[in-house]
Amino acid sequence: MVLLDGSANLPRKILGNKGHGIDAMRRHKLPVPPAFCITTEVGVRYLAEPAKTLATIWDDVLDGMSWLEAETSCTFGRGPHPLLVSVRSGATHSMPGMMDTILDLGMNDAVERALTSASSAEFARDTRRRFNRIYQHIVGTEPGSVPADPHAQLRAAIEAVFASWNSPRAVAYRAHWGLNQSPADRGSTAVVVQAMVFGNHDADSGSGALFSRNPITGANEPFGEWLRCGQGDEVVSGVVDVEPITALRDEQPAVYDELMDAARRLERLGSDVQEIEFTVDDGKLWLLQTRAAEKSAQATARLALQLRREGLIDDTETLGRVTRAHVETLLLPALQPETRLAAPLLAKGMPACPGVVSGKAYTEVDEALNAADRGEEVILVRDHTRPEDVTGMLAAQGIVTEVGGATSHAAVVSRELGRVAVVGCGTGVAAALAGKQITVDGYEGEVREGNLALTAWSEGDTPELRELADIARPISPLRAHTTGEHPTLDDASDAAVRAAMDAGLTDVVSATPLIIMLTALRLAAR
Amino acid sequence: MSELTVLQAVRLKGRVSPHDLAAALAEDVTNTVERLVESGLLIESTTLRISPSGRVRLDELLTEERAGIDPSALATAYNDFHSVNTDFKALVTDWQLNRDPAALARMDGVHERVLPIIAAAAAQLPRLDAYRAKLLAALEKIKAGDTAWLTRPLVDSYHTVWFELHEELILASGLTREQAARSGDAQ
Repeated sequence: MVLLDGSANLPRKILGNKGHGIDAMRRHKLPVPPAFCITTEVGVRYLAEPAKTLATIWDDVLDGMSWLEAETSCTFGRGPHPLLVSVRSGATHSMPGMMDTILDLGMNDAVERALTSASSAEFARDTRRRFNRIYQHIVGTEPGSVPADPHAQLRAAIEAVFASWNSPRAVAYRAHWGLNQSPADRGSTAVVVQAMVFGNHDADSGSGALFSRNPITGANEPFGEWLRCGQGDEVVSGVVDVEPITALRDEQPAVYDELMDAARRLERLGSDVQEIEFTVDDGKLWLLQTRAAEKSAQATARLALQLRREGLIDDTETLGRVTRAHVETLLLPALQPETRLAAPLLAKGMPACPGVVSGKAYTEVDEALNAADRGEEVILVRDHTRPEDVTGMLAAQGIVTEVGGATSHAAVVSRELGRVAVVGCGTGVAAALAGKQITVDGYEGEVREGNLALTAWSEGDTPELRELADIARPISPLRAHTTGEHPTLDDASDAAVRAAMDAGLTDVVSATPLIIMLTALRLAAR
Repeated sequence: MSELTVLQAVRLKGRVSPHDLAAALAEDVTNTVERLVESGLLIESTTLRISPSGRVRLDELLTEERAGIDPSALATAYNDFHSVNTDFKALVTDWQLNRDPAALARMDGVHERVLPIIAAAAAQLPRLDAYRAKLLAALEKIKAGDTAWLTRPLVDSYHTVWFELHEELILASGLTREQAARSGDAQ
């Protein structure tokens, strides 16, 4: 057990991403609720010998709880000021939504009464309802059988979070992203136990997720979501309507400013754009987690250049952030994020077959076939698909359905026909889209208004790629230019770039100079 | 070949060439098709399709066909189909996305589970017995190594026949596709 009081200073591998972030934020005196961490090393032992491991660490866990009580001046399991905690997973690699989290733990009749006295009956009831629902869901007990003993709750929650490492979805996620460790090092998660702060407390409370800059377009402006009077699990679940982060600025400008200051500090500490989970409890800001943001290829290039201009990263690091795969993605025709986000969103469903296509929405197969015969670009929008719709799907550029998941007949057939498809957009979508010019985005699972053009970046014309090439030229062992009196190197494979360097070339001409130089830099760094 | 069988086949195919229709029904249907075109129930251009009056006629014939049956037997068959349908489509998706050979290995189990469901439905509606042979024909082609017969649309691949069987069971159990969709089954 490790107290995350800012002095832990242990590697991410031991504390997990979440614990590591909390310790770093505490070290820099940012407002973070006190927390302790049961390390990934304990997690590995737990998966091998659950009962014995838990018995061994239990006294440490109780010490950790005493420390949380002292830090918060609250008491676990009783009033007048009860301590509630969250029990969260914290793997070394972030696995969003794959592992379990339990909030509001330490709840029973006495605690609910104490919360009623200290705050309000509505808040106490709402918090208890949230705890019961999430505890039953994660620990798997029957409704009405949540133990009244808060320590029994804590023990079961820690066990459930450790065990969720081996849940089918977590295993599938690691397999998909190649995160599986070697058999000798099976890996595990840490568990973070943190004092609760309450986004559901009152009208001056809420929860949100903030990106310090836009991770989709790369614009230098905050981007995120705010849920007034709600807890963090709802923000990420997608089941409630959240507002853009600007809503917090309008509601609580001082809190918003404090959050922006914290985001800038965390960017400087992490030398990268941050994704921050936060809660506002009765007008007070609390940071719960921070990590480097996942970004689109466009945002990766733009943000690396921004951070370099601001002095957060040097030339070598800038070029390390932008990989060859990013540049190759940018050179392909695509719906650019800024184009996409500027067009009104008409429907959202599940992506069933990738691609981006535009056309006029038809809801009847015969009409769609006639329009396709006239040479129109057609999108077939159906409530659900019937066998006889297949000829219409073949004539269409893309397919949208109201009902059905990623394995529906519509999804199966669209993949087979190679037709872009978004399925399960909800009832009423066919009527709403009929007759409109629409763009179907089979990557994002979106339908947007208008015929949106696909465009590509180019090494010759796009300022960001030219700037990156200019940064690369002085430090790359092989300088690549678009024109000049140098040998031509159009093959950007590792072998060809290696051969050029081995042959003693220092300057070459290429259609893709940045890709050549990123490859040369990577080979030289080996 | 009965009017019902031909009209239903054309409806399920949407637009179909006379040649493909004959192949799907495993019989020369030239005379029946001629008669149906003359009476305006089918429309013939480059392909055949059902006319609005043909749809009305088909609905009448299907209602007639269902007149003497035991609805609970078909409801049970449809219910049983639902769970094997979920497994089949998961298998198909695995195959499409990952080309996972293990997915193909699950085909035999799916086929064995659907046969008694077809038998139970065909005991009420003998016309549905044809789906047994059509699924088997597709399965044999898949097993002979021609995996396109698992999912290829517009030919009688396993998924095409399955999708049509699904539609038949929805109709036969007295549900509309809208009702089936609302209960989450018609996907």
